Amino acid sequence: MKNDLTELWQARELLFTLVERELRIRYKNSILGFLWSLLNPLLTVSVMWFVFKFYMANETPNFSAYILAAYLPYMFFQQAVLDSAQSVLQALPIVKKVYFPREILPIAVVCSSFVHFLLALCVFFAFLLVIYLSDPRVSPFSWNMLLLPIPLILSFLLAAGTGLFIAALNTFFEDVKYIVQVLLQLLLFVCPIMYFSEQVLAASQRHGTWMYFAYHANPVAMLCTAFRKILVAPQDPIVGGKSLPWLPLDWALMVLCAAVCVSVFVGGYAYFNRVKWGFVERP
Amino acid sequence: MIELRQVRKEFRLSHSGSFKTALLWWRRKRIEQFEVLKGIDLQIKQGECVALVGRNGAGKSTLLSLLSRIYKPTSGEIVVRGKIAPLLELGAGFHPDLSGLENILFNGVILGLTRQQVQERIDSIVEFSELRNHIDAPVRSYSSGMLARLGFAIAVHVDAEILIVDEVLAVGDFAFEEKCYKRIQDFKEQGGTILFVSHEMDDIRRVADRCVWLKNGQIRLEGAPDDVIRSYQADSEATESL
Repeated sequence: MKNDLTELWQARELLFTLVERELRIRYKNSILGFLWSLLNPLLTVSVMWFVFKFYMANETPNFSAYILAAYLPYMFFQQAVLDSAQSVLQALPIVKKVYFPREILPIAVVCSSFVHFLLALCVFFAFLLVIYLSDPRVSPFSWNMLLLPIPLILSFLLAAGTGLFIAALNTFFEDVKYIVQVLLQLLLFVCPIMYFSEQVLAASQRHGTWMYFAYHANPVAMLCTAFRKILVAPQDPIVGGKSLPWLPLDWALMVLCAAVCVSVFVGGYAYFNRVKWGFVERP
Repeated sequence: MIELRQVRKEFRLSHSGSFKTALLWWRRKRIEQFEVLKGIDLQIKQGECVALVGRNGAGKSTLLSLLSRIYKPTSGEIVVRGKIAPLLELGAGFHPDLSGLENILFNGVILGLTRQQVQERIDSIVEFSELRNHIDAPVRSYSSGMLARLGFAIAVHVDAEILIVDEVLAVGDFAFEEKCYKRIQDFKEQGGTILFVSHEMDDIRRVADRCVWLKNGQIRLEGAPDDVIRSYQADSEATESL
């Protein structure tokens, strides 16, 4: 493990070059180019906002900001994992010719998705500014936002760990990426994106609060909640004419989430390194 | 300096790489081992130029890949002192949508240069490849000859002590080939080690100091290029006439 880490450190220039290349080629041949990274979430969020506001009677003010704050981290995770699934396979021609630490391939993909994520967050702040300008009585900005690096680092570790694991697995079994596609789609529904974690608690109370905790044991769901609590002003969600009490960020759940993210990263990295010599020998 | 001691390499042949087959066959241990290299002992001194000959499937490419650390040997020991640069096949590692210049940066770094070193050498690389007019065009518009020239130009600029060439020289036109041979001669004179695979016996006679004939994963004969090539050709003809 220690040797692998030193080697990774020595190859940091290659990692940097690869991330740069990844960023360049993603939208190389499209006219709108980089704008697609922003248009995609904005379109999705508009549709979600429309459906949930008008058909599902969600009357929370600035509901769209809540959706966006949780959808962006989900989208980062989805994109990072899907792209890294293919990363080793796509690079196989060069992997078969030159030696370099193979873990660089999925890590570079995750890094480039992370850059897109950070840029999308800038758009999110611009969005908040628009909200503020249209209604300057309440400021949507708060000191809470200084906590942002915590969920950012955790989501990077989670995506990198999952990406390394999936990339290795997909190199041997190409069915993995189809399974992952389905799972990621399902993940959208079990994360508090189109609804509020307050609603999850209200619904869980009938069956016992363990359901609420089980729901947040999913690190992606917890990270979505965390981003939402940190990025958007506290406000009681109003659904179907009923107001639910706003919940602060649960730090106990956050610690659990951090533990999961770190172990996923360590586990994914260790698994990748254990099997990486087999990639080129794949019959 | 390169030293191989009793190097063996086995590949597994079974398991076709899908879940279905893995699930269907997981109880049957159908793991077929296929021994590509059966105990290779070889020493290559610094500054030597060694050619590998042998029929397809004799293990030449596997041997080169083991030296470049693509594979780990099944058993045996490999000692390599000095930086290795493999001469990449026609644009392996080039991204078709990126320009020649962008690809030089990436390939240079992957072959072990720092970004700064690539920037310093970029003019010299472009100069050598004779692609000045096309260097900003995407690589997908390059012909195979142009790709080979770019690949060779990068490989000779990475300061390697050992150059590994796997059947890629015979793609440029005559003039460029001459240039490559001249560069290889210079490289040798500066103390560089070269290991190459070729099916062009004339090339081997021209540049190699020593020739190694691989047959079915073993070294059949090694020695002066003329002697080895003669026996190798005699053997090939004998097999053909059977």
